[in-house]
Amino acid sequence: MAYTITDSCIGCGMCKLVCPVEAIEGQPRKDHRILAPRCIDCGACGRICPQEAVKDPSGHVCQRIRLRRRWPKPRISELACIGCTVCIQSCPTSCLGLTAPGGSVESVRQAMLVSPEACIGCGICATDCPVAAIEMVAPEPF
Amino acid sequence: MELGCTGKILVVDLTTGGIQTQTVADAVYENFLSGLGLGAWYLYHNIEPHADPLGPQNVLGFVAGFLTGSGSLFSGRWLVVGKSPLTGCWGEANAGGSFAPAIKQCGFDAIFFSGISPRPVYLFADGNRAELRDATDIWGLDAGATEARLDAMHPGRKRPRIACIGPAGERQSLIAGVVHDGGRLAARAGLGAVMGAKRLKALALAGSQRIKVAHRPEVLRLSRDVSAMVQHQPPFVSGKVAAYLGRLVRALPTQMETDGLIYKTILRKWGTVGMNQMSIEMGDAPVQNWRGTHHDFDLDTSSRLAPDVFTRPVVAKYFCYSCPLGCGALVEGAPGKPRTHRPEYETVMALGPLCMNADAESIFQMNEMLNQAGMDSISAGATIAFAMECYEHGLITRADTDGLALTWGNSAAMVALIDRMIRREGIGDLLADGSRMAARRIGAGSERFAIHAGGQELPMHDSRFDPGFALHYTVEPAPGRHTVGSLLYYEMFQLWRQIETLPDPSRFYLKRSKYDTDVEKARMAAACSQFVNLINAAGICLFGAFLGVHRLPVFQWLDAVGGRPRSPVDYLRIGVNIQTVRQAFNFRQGIDPLAVRVSDRALGRPPQSRGANEGRSVAVEKLVEEYFGQFDWDRHTGRPRDSDLKKIGL
Repeated sequence: MAYTITDSCIGCGMCKLVCPVEAIEGQPRKDHRILAPRCIDCGACGRICPQEAVKDPSGHVCQRIRLRRRWPKPRISELACIGCTVCIQSCPTSCLGLTAPGGSVESVRQAMLVSPEACIGCGICATDCPVAAIEMVAPEPF
Repeated sequence: MELGCTGKILVVDLTTGGIQTQTVADAVYENFLSGLGLGAWYLYHNIEPHADPLGPQNVLGFVAGFLTGSGSLFSGRWLVVGKSPLTGCWGEANAGGSFAPAIKQCGFDAIFFSGISPRPVYLFADGNRAELRDATDIWGLDAGATEARLDAMHPGRKRPRIACIGPAGERQSLIAGVVHDGGRLAARAGLGAVMGAKRLKALALAGSQRIKVAHRPEVLRLSRDVSAMVQHQPPFVSGKVAAYLGRLVRALPTQMETDGLIYKTILRKWGTVGMNQMSIEMGDAPVQNWRGTHHDFDLDTSSRLAPDVFTRPVVAKYFCYSCPLGCGALVEGAPGKPRTHRPEYETVMALGPLCMNADAESIFQMNEMLNQAGMDSISAGATIAFAMECYEHGLITRADTDGLALTWGNSAAMVALIDRMIRREGIGDLLADGSRMAARRIGAGSERFAIHAGGQELPMHDSRFDPGFALHYTVEPAPGRHTVGSLLYYEMFQLWRQIETLPDPSRFYLKRSKYDTDVEKARMAAACSQFVNLINAAGICLFGAFLGVHRLPVFQWLDAVGGRPRSPVDYLRIGVNIQTVRQAFNFRQGIDPLAVRVSDRALGRPPQSRGANEGRSVAVEKLVEEYFGQFDWDRHTGRPRDSDLKKIGL
């Protein structure tokens, strides 16, 4: 399963820029298309497309979220996170990292969003977290 | 194969620079799962008989497990596989960190290298491309610097995960390993030398591909239960009391079945170094090149290597990918150096009591030197202990060592010697290929001081204390490994809870019964081999498996990820297949399994006259035939039957 681009595409190239796995091809002002084997279902193309020309794997048209800062971000529960680093490895943009060492043998470095600007709001970290410690939350409007 | 695996492997011919993606047939996954099994299947078919381990015919594989990336816990192990230049047998080395998911995220279950590159190269892959790139500039750098440089050279969105060799691998030291994450080593079998011989400096993997799972919610539900159990940490005794517990174990004539929860508690509190003093006291850790006892390295001496000594400088726990336990730890580096990894139990024992060294500072220093050079600390420590005994007997003199006094416990000389071994300078060149090779070069009867199995230095678990280790050191296709089985491991795996035909050991038993050579021991050993093969195919950590199959739902995870439920017996059948293909691999390479022997001293021949293992010797030969019989191989030769090989497509 993969995302698809409809013929509403105007070839602006925004999706191609945001795609973390180079799964979108197309020339400027020409129809773009998603290479299904490469697509990791992150949905970033759907959130950025000004034409709302992207469909998710279920066939629903993705809703654009105009301001990237409003895209959902991972909120990591300090109580639940066990520091297993699954989310860090899963993240396609390496926007997660570990907290600073606490300075003792008891210190567990937990996951944290270290590069919010790199986050594409895909939620793969939340999907993969083995202990359900991550929830995707849209930042409050200013 | 779509679920749990990618169904593809990357095959790189370093001689021509050719890179191919190959699809693997479903039948291979059916018979061998993935990980170790996939590696064994590929190497069996692609390494010519009697291949030179350091030549172009040898194939070096990096494999990730079936469960890695599925949401299961403890599934972050990756293996390097190849023909071992140290033993000439099947070789494998296992490590954690975050390299295992990186392999699968590039879209492959395994990456194999054949040939020899005309110039130093590294492999870069990111899911869309796989390229060999020039590594001339990073050749010669130690492991940490190599990783830092490669990280800086790939500033893409996804940070690459890196496995590399250090100077030891480049100089083809036969005890060199492959390094990841600044000091996690796939250390054993000398596979770093194979990488060095191929002029392959590193792999940098930066993929983001997803692993398809049949029932992810079920996998995650199982994982949450395991995590809750592992997070619960009962109050436990201090390090000092643990040492006295070891003394108690030594004194009692009886023993109690060991539950892995105890081990989990120790690992979570101290990591593997939690066993430091306890092991010496109870006779599990060899002392003074396997000839000493706890009398020679007493409690006062070992207190300088107490668990708390190694936890004091810790700044944080270190977790491998998908691990809820965190047995590793990061410690502050030397002045001006970055944070590094705490030494592990095996390292402390090999560089400590085995060489009669109680200087913890020197062990921190040597650990870091070995990690950065990419050299196996077990083999390095055991080779130094060998050299010290040779020095004591005048087989090596001060003139040979360029002035180093290799007296027992001389930590300054050990540090200097390791530096020379890494550089292959003088006496270091003589010792850089392990103790068996050094004994051949020294001659004069020094072979009796080289304690190994089939050429691989024995790990820090005394086969006279747990004779189960003796059998596995001898019969495994990769000899001399402590990560497969023993009587203790069998008790902790608790396989009989899910496979009724397996023997259920007594809760209390007389210690001397461990040395009986009955068929039951061979059945237990075969079950350990099968189960550990399975978890190595799944990518599961041995320390997780110690929790027991009733607590770590390996079989249920496999069902939920693959979507094709099988019984535990069927899963262990995969373990049988993997053992059979590796045994067949050894035969193809001209190895006679009966010629692979553990050094007499480690079997108690002659027995020790004092200490925890006083009077004990292990009649391992009597169990070998029974062990072969458990796999339906020829009982006298250990050769797998052609009909069995055909059944699994070989």
